[in-house]
Amino acid sequence: MNFDAKPFLLFSNIENGLMHWLLVFGSFIGVIFAASILISVGIYGVSGPVAVMGRVRQGLHDFLNLSPKRIWAISWLTIIEAVRRKALLVFVVFAFLMMFAGWFLDSDLRADLQVKNAVSFALTTVSWLTIPVLLLLSCWGIPEDIRVRSIHTVVTKPVRRNEIVMGRILGFATIAAAIVAMMGIVGYVWILRQVPNNASLICRVPVYGTLQFLDREGNASDKGLNTGDIWEFRSYIEGGTKASAAYKFPVDAPVDRIKLESRFEAFRTHKGRMGQSLLVRYVLVNPTKDLRVPLDSFEIKEFNLNEQYLERKLSFYDEVRMDKRTIDLFDDVVDQNSLTIEVQCLDSGQYLGMARPDFFIRLPDRPFAIGYFKAVLGIWLLTVFIVSIGVTSSTFVKGPVATLLTFSLLIIGQGFREFMIKLITGVQKGGGPIESWYRLVTHMNDTLELPDNIGIKIMQGIDNVMLGGLWLMQHLIPDLTSFVMAPYVANGFDVPWNLAIFRSLAITIGYLVPCLLVGYYSLTLRELEAK
Amino acid sequence: METQSVIQIKNLTKIYRDFWGRKKVRALNSLSLDVKKGEVFGLLGPNGSGKTTTMKLLLGLLFPTEGEITVLGKPASDVSKNEWIGYLPEESYLYRFLNAEETLDFYGRLFDMSPQQRKERSNQLIELVGLQNARKRQLKEYSKGMTRRIGLAQALINNPDLILLDEPTSGLDPLGSRDMKDLIVKLKNEGKTVVMCSHLLADVQDVCDRIAILYAGELKELGRVDDLLKEQHETELLTSKLSPEAVADVEAVLAKHNAKLLRHGHPTNSLEDLFLKTVQKSQERPGQRFVPAASEKS
Repeated sequence: MNFDAKPFLLFSNIENGLMHWLLVFGSFIGVIFAASILISVGIYGVSGPVAVMGRVRQGLHDFLNLSPKRIWAISWLTIIEAVRRKALLVFVVFAFLMMFAGWFLDSDLRADLQVKNAVSFALTTVSWLTIPVLLLLSCWGIPEDIRVRSIHTVVTKPVRRNEIVMGRILGFATIAAAIVAMMGIVGYVWILRQVPNNASLICRVPVYGTLQFLDREGNASDKGLNTGDIWEFRSYIEGGTKASAAYKFPVDAPVDRIKLESRFEAFRTHKGRMGQSLLVRYVLVNPTKDLRVPLDSFEIKEFNLNEQYLERKLSFYDEVRMDKRTIDLFDDVVDQNSLTIEVQCLDSGQYLGMARPDFFIRLPDRPFAIGYFKAVLGIWLLTVFIVSIGVTSSTFVKGPVATLLTFSLLIIGQGFREFMIKLITGVQKGGGPIESWYRLVTHMNDTLELPDNIGIKIMQGIDNVMLGGLWLMQHLIPDLTSFVMAPYVANGFDVPWNLAIFRSLAITIGYLVPCLLVGYYSLTLRELEAK
Repeated sequence: METQSVIQIKNLTKIYRDFWGRKKVRALNSLSLDVKKGEVFGLLGPNGSGKTTTMKLLLGLLFPTEGEITVLGKPASDVSKNEWIGYLPEESYLYRFLNAEETLDFYGRLFDMSPQQRKERSNQLIELVGLQNARKRQLKEYSKGMTRRIGLAQALINNPDLILLDEPTSGLDPLGSRDMKDLIVKLKNEGKTVVMCSHLLADVQDVCDRIAILYAGELKELGRVDDLLKEQHETELLTSKLSPEAVADVEAVLAKHNAKLLRHGHPTNSLEDLFLKTVQKSQERPGQRFVPAASEKS
């Protein structure tokens, strides 16, 4: 596992999420409104703000008088257009790829890795074929209508501009749903045929906890030791000391037994005994009752899964009372609906690495199809997001520019947002663009202090302005990584509703609302003439 | 009683600007006119005179630089006015991937019409414009004339009170052109208001009650067609065939009244009339030749 689902507790934190969205959306509206008033005063004088208010009133009226029939008419047109222009031929490309893909996937790999490759391939292919088609369709639809002036026969009917934007988005979203559903079903059948005999498709349902490290003296720490291996994601505890990693899992209703699953990494400073892996022990902790329940130690399976069961009735040797005791897991260990488990490495001189998602409670598995089609739903949500941005941008720029704009947003949202944040927060050394250029030219690496002079100060000042722009951008550009749900399914996990689906849905809706507003005003305030 | 104005234009000016806001062309300059309910109004002018610009300003497709436009008592920017308007653009900018039935069904949906209403109205209009045999063909396979016909049908889908026709006879053969003109007259008789712009003067003369002549964006003439075309200083007489002696007698009588015969001869039909008669005869008697073949002549 090399991914970590970011907590997104929509339902437990919906007020905060909504407030944050309202704040950003309100600020966006406020800035646009203030700029419109200022510009209108500059151009038209005193009558300018009156005209702006008139537009606002008209906008409110148009949004309150939407006609679902007209919206669906535009959607229907969009669907027919896409079908008659043979957009669904993308499905033929997909079928062709699926027919021969099996030849190129490595059949000498371990069975579970073969399954992982097959699932990743199917879902990635669905994404990579659907997204470009929908990107192009959504970015070229309205500009093409304006270019050939067919939009004239639509806007001269009682059609409001927001109905055009909504109809287009709905139409493209429907096409995307059809394409993604067809490809998803074919991909599913293909995966079933690709699974080796000695492997199975699983859909684990994990319950992740929070992770707190204790150092070798037993003091709390956010991170374990850095062994020079993966540092940001996973850190290490030292064996044979008081160092441990405490996982705190949320636990709901009592059950007869709990299944624990882990995948820890070993970092060795000496060979140890040949053929023997590191020795690990779980200790159940109830801090309120000052109860520590050490379980039997076990050897971890490196590069593979460790599975243990916690029975409800546990017998153990109480090192404080010097006596054997039997306790009830839920009555005695679970504290305020939380189960705390400390992981200790018993081999001195060896290190055990772990991250938050490396250890979890495994609930009863779900059918693989459920997890798989949730991931397909995630692909569809991403296409809806892209379609919303594509249609909106196509209301104020021509097709090629709209395509470039939407594509850039997609790339930044999926891959470069973290980098932007690092640049803004200063985690990424080297300063802004001008400072970086200066360092390149003068061969100064990013750890060297810059000379203290007025030129450098001006340079850094300009950089700060640019970084301010970048700060604004990273607030406007969404984190699209939550839409990518293939890693869950490929790694044999269910796609969590809260962590992935609702998060993606919230992002899509969160952007859809301003998109409709921008698209509406963009079409209303421009003359629909091809230029 | 004053007839109600359907369109009121006051001091309308339209300046096209480039990307940087610099003036590119003044398409209309202080245009003012009214169109009354139930009349056929023609906008005339050479290419670039501002006819289509006026039409697009009326529809809210363009925004005026100065002046006011009221259409059916509402500002041109008000979408709700379009409930009662039909528009045939200069080129029929329709969706080429739809067939005739789908096209009319789509535009019917934009008026929130029920499926039953859409079906009935589509059938009526397809019959009206004579496209019964091409109702299932995609518009990309249509000739220009057929495209104009379906364009007209979509303009009438909502049974509008005000119909704006931009070059309605462009691309139509004389037969289609005559049908279009007959239809315009029929619409007028039903109490509809029609505004058409054209540079085919004969078409305008045939159907329009009033016309405005634009040149370089300015209004040059405005009034009833009859009034504008009437030669106040001449009188026209039409008689049965006269002998040369009778013509001489007429000249003598005219001389007595201080008038003179300016022109005499046989009146001619218009080419359009000849064409229409020939086509009509061909339809009534298929296979019959009206002109002797070259071999028969010799």
